[in-house]
Amino acid sequence: MDIKNKYTPDTEDLIKSVKDYKLHFTILFAVIISEYIGIITLDFMGISIVLMPLLYSLILAVAFYLAKPVYWIKEKQSERSSAIMMLLIGPLLAKLAIASGQNIEIIFNAGPAILLQEVGNLGTIFAALPIALLLGFKRESIGMTSSICREPQMAVVIDKYGFTSPETRGFFTVFLIGTVLGTPFISLLVSILAYVLPLHPFAFGMACGIGSASMNAAAVASLSTIFPQYATQMEAFSGMANLIAMVTGMYVYIFVAMPLTEGLYKRLEPPINALLKRKKAKKESC
Amino acid sequence: MTETISSKVLIEWIGILVIFSIISAIGNVIGYHYPFMESLVGMLILCGISLAGLIIETYTPWDIPSILYISILGLLLALPISPVSDFIIYYTTRVELISLTTVLLAYAGISMGKDLGDFKKVGVKGVVVTFFVIFGTYVGSALIAQFVLMYTGMI
Repeated sequence: MDIKNKYTPDTEDLIKSVKDYKLHFTILFAVIISEYIGIITLDFMGISIVLMPLLYSLILAVAFYLAKPVYWIKEKQSERSSAIMMLLIGPLLAKLAIASGQNIEIIFNAGPAILLQEVGNLGTIFAALPIALLLGFKRESIGMTSSICREPQMAVVIDKYGFTSPETRGFFTVFLIGTVLGTPFISLLVSILAYVLPLHPFAFGMACGIGSASMNAAAVASLSTIFPQYATQMEAFSGMANLIAMVTGMYVYIFVAMPLTEGLYKRLEPPINALLKRKKAKKESC
Repeated sequence: MTETISSKVLIEWIGILVIFSIISAIGNVIGYHYPFMESLVGMLILCGISLAGLIIETYTPWDIPSILYISILGLLLALPISPVSDFIIYYTTRVELISLTTVLLAYAGISMGKDLGDFKKVGVKGVVVTFFVIFGTYVGSALIAQFVLMYTGMI
């Protein structure tokens, strides 16, 4: 499976990347600037939008890659960074797990809610499948919208649909975009939702555990800026929810999410397809 | 699949994790004003747990990813009954969770560089669908959590 190699640390890349001190100094530089700017809260029509340092460091890093004067950041460094990233998920997960272990008592009290909210992860199918179909995606949409498209589901989708299938292609589209843009996106999303939806901070906190360590951390940090008094509990709840999502992710995907997406696809695809065709015909006739 | 880690790979893992620890500790000093040495110790603990997870994955026969070993190990070490929990909690609270994502996303930005062409090909449509995937997953979970928390009388 060569695509798996693309997303798991390549030993060759790792070995060379340790000694690539220019790369690490560039990262350090981006981090220092980003942390120095710090968290900015913008007031926008009564909604506070929380801007996190992770957003600036992402933008700075892309800018460094594109900037010609930064000649030491090239494609090779880009490949090495991918390999490094996979390794850095570990400490992030360890931090979340420690928050859960430390607060195990309050987690037990909230047990039923943490377990059941995992069902809500299926919300992606109802929210995103119609959108994907309306945008003109076909079988790709099944791979795209049946899950949050992280590592636990990767093997399943390749195994079921085959490596070169449209479903797998769709899966990797969302995987790739989610890896980079998902983290800043969710940090902005939760800061807006915290004002729009009248839910308890505990509910917002648990929902952050969607099976991606970086998205989890970004979402919880945004929430902690808005509800500082609940920061500890939200971190603990989300860490536990994230762990459960990772453990159960594969099975929920095989036995529930995939059949559900297939079923909904069969119902939605014909009418949406007809709608798109009519629109196209209309456009051509005028 | 059991395989052995060559000492070379092990050294590289440690190398990257140490670099990550130093960068994150500096980030914590600047962003959150924690003492450098305490943040660094906290980071080294987190990286030690990760390394243990990676090693366990390599030496166990079943196909369980290292992320699960790392999570379970971190959880167990921090439980109130764990003899090292006080030590671990003291130092790891000197590391802000979000500071780790700042470093991670800096590497993500550089790694995105080579995929910029792919992003253009997928275009805005792919980005829109991805945002709805995240939106649906998050809101679905938050609504159910709220309902169950109210039903069980926790809030």
